[in-house]
Amino acid sequence: MTSAPRRTLFKLLALLVFAVVWRVVNPPETPLVVAPRHLIEAAPMCPWRQPEADMRAFFPDATGYRTETLILTSHLRELNKLLGRRPTPDENPLYVHRVLSHSRQIGSVLVRRVKGEYGAIEIVLAVKHNVVAGLRIQRLREPARIAQALNSSAWLHSFVGKTVGSSWQNMPPVPTFARVSAAAVSQGARSLLILHEVGEKSGTINGAPLRQ
Amino acid sequence: MLLFALRNLTRRPLRNGLTLSGLAVAVAVLACLLAFGQGYRRALSAELNRTGVQMMLVPLGCPYDAAARVLKGKTLDNSLPESALAAVRSDPAVAIAAPLLLAAVPRPAEGRTDLWAGLDKTSLQLKPWWRMKAGRNWFASANSVILGDEAAAVETRVPGDKFYSPETGQTLRVAGVLERSGTSDDSLFFVSLATAQKMFKQPQRLTAVAIRLHDPAQMSDALERLQKIPGAQVVTLSEMMGTFLNLVGTVRTLLLSIAIVAVTISVLGVFNTLLTAVVERMTELSLLRALGASRSHVFGLIALESLLLVSAGSLCGLLLARGIGGVFENLVKRFMPLAPTESLFTLTPLIMLQCLSLGLGIGLLAGIFPAWQASQMQPADAVKLES
Repeated sequence: MTSAPRRTLFKLLALLVFAVVWRVVNPPETPLVVAPRHLIEAAPMCPWRQPEADMRAFFPDATGYRTETLILTSHLRELNKLLGRRPTPDENPLYVHRVLSHSRQIGSVLVRRVKGEYGAIEIVLAVKHNVVAGLRIQRLREPARIAQALNSSAWLHSFVGKTVGSSWQNMPPVPTFARVSAAAVSQGARSLLILHEVGEKSGTINGAPLRQ
Repeated sequence: MLLFALRNLTRRPLRNGLTLSGLAVAVAVLACLLAFGQGYRRALSAELNRTGVQMMLVPLGCPYDAAARVLKGKTLDNSLPESALAAVRSDPAVAIAAPLLLAAVPRPAEGRTDLWAGLDKTSLQLKPWWRMKAGRNWFASANSVILGDEAAAVETRVPGDKFYSPETGQTLRVAGVLERSGTSDDSLFFVSLATAQKMFKQPQRLTAVAIRLHDPAQMSDALERLQKIPGAQVVTLSEMMGTFLNLVGTVRTLLLSIAIVAVTISVLGVFNTLLTAVVERMTELSLLRALGASRSHVFGLIALESLLLVSAGSLCGLLLARGIGGVFENLVKRFMPLAPTESLFTLTPLIMLQCLSLGLGIGLLAGIFPAWQASQMQPADAVKLES
């Protein structure tokens, strides 16, 4: 090989090495439009703290569960109408824990953090064919008497059988001191049920169309 | 010659590809370890400097464990008498002495622990990163609480809301929410020192006193005086950092040994590949000699093949390290107590250059013997081998 092509080849190789090293040192830039950090209100996802116990209580035949994400972006108008307000950023996507008996789905569990009077209240809502199969409060920091009222079996049981179309005003009365937190729980449960029903109808799972 | 060498390498893609992959993995492991070591040192130093604290007065016990737990917002089993604070403040070398009472309230039924910190106003001088996202930057009353950013999000609280502590029966009012700082403060509930002492039934007790001196040069004198406070011991931040680095250094040495073994194996792989190639190409190399190629030409050809192979392997290794660095960091952080919150993986140009140089060095080393053996071919061997 003559010296001129060899030199060109060396230059090309050096250029290639330089390009690779440069790319390694300077990874691709982040998108130009980045929301200011302090404006992003990203509440951490509410965990399902006791799946085994909840499945035993709400779905005795359950053998396991899998979690799916329903994307509701394309149904904002419908959700606006049903919820009576704009969905909050943490309502979309909706995480649905599908409860299975062997490989057959027997229901869903939805978990949500709502704003109680004295702190967050985490609710676990069991749904079967778009009907509430049960509700449990998995975490709260309300004073004892409010906690007692919210955890009373009569009040929790009153959610069983509710659908999106049910009257949510006719709940059993709770003591005055527990009204704010009780309202937060029932509104949270109703919102979850609406989101779930709309999502199951025509949402997308993990970005892919949901099978009917 | 370069094209010729490249063509020779591509003639056996599987063998050379496997050799290259082995070398790439070894270089990637080495680069990850070096990058992680450097990143850890930098992040730890930054985290300790950001606290603005030069010393920490902690109860008797393992001082490093105690100081590290306090810095990370975890509680200690024993505590200091509040008189220790007065003793620290009376020392002429001390500029700021900020008392701290930490309490962890486990909530096993909920699978979480509430972390409370009691502060007095001097703490603000040691927390330059304390910026409010909303509300006031100090407690409006004895029943005020300031929440870290994550704590406020998890508890759905904004300034003005009520906040209840079921374990202590205390109802508080949220005075402010901190901006996210990336420190342990993000998940803490802050109350005034007096409120914390009352809530957790620790009257006149402290978990630690954070100390900043007027002049860091007075540290040894101050240290000597403060060590005399009964029931307490002093830890300097530089001592803590040294201890952490020693602990991590031991693990790093072990891991580096493994990386060196991996590199040695890959050198032997390169050596084996080249030697096999030379043996397989004896006729061809003798023919080259018969056609007029000198010994140095043949030596250069094999050495160049070796260099090309290891250069490509090292570059692939660096790219691999860049790709798996984040995964490696997440994995390591999970098993590392008190890991700094910053990114620990720092693949600097110097580390890349070191890894490349090592790769090229071992390439040359592994190529010398096969190249020498190839250069010993006689032109007459071509005829003998052919017949």
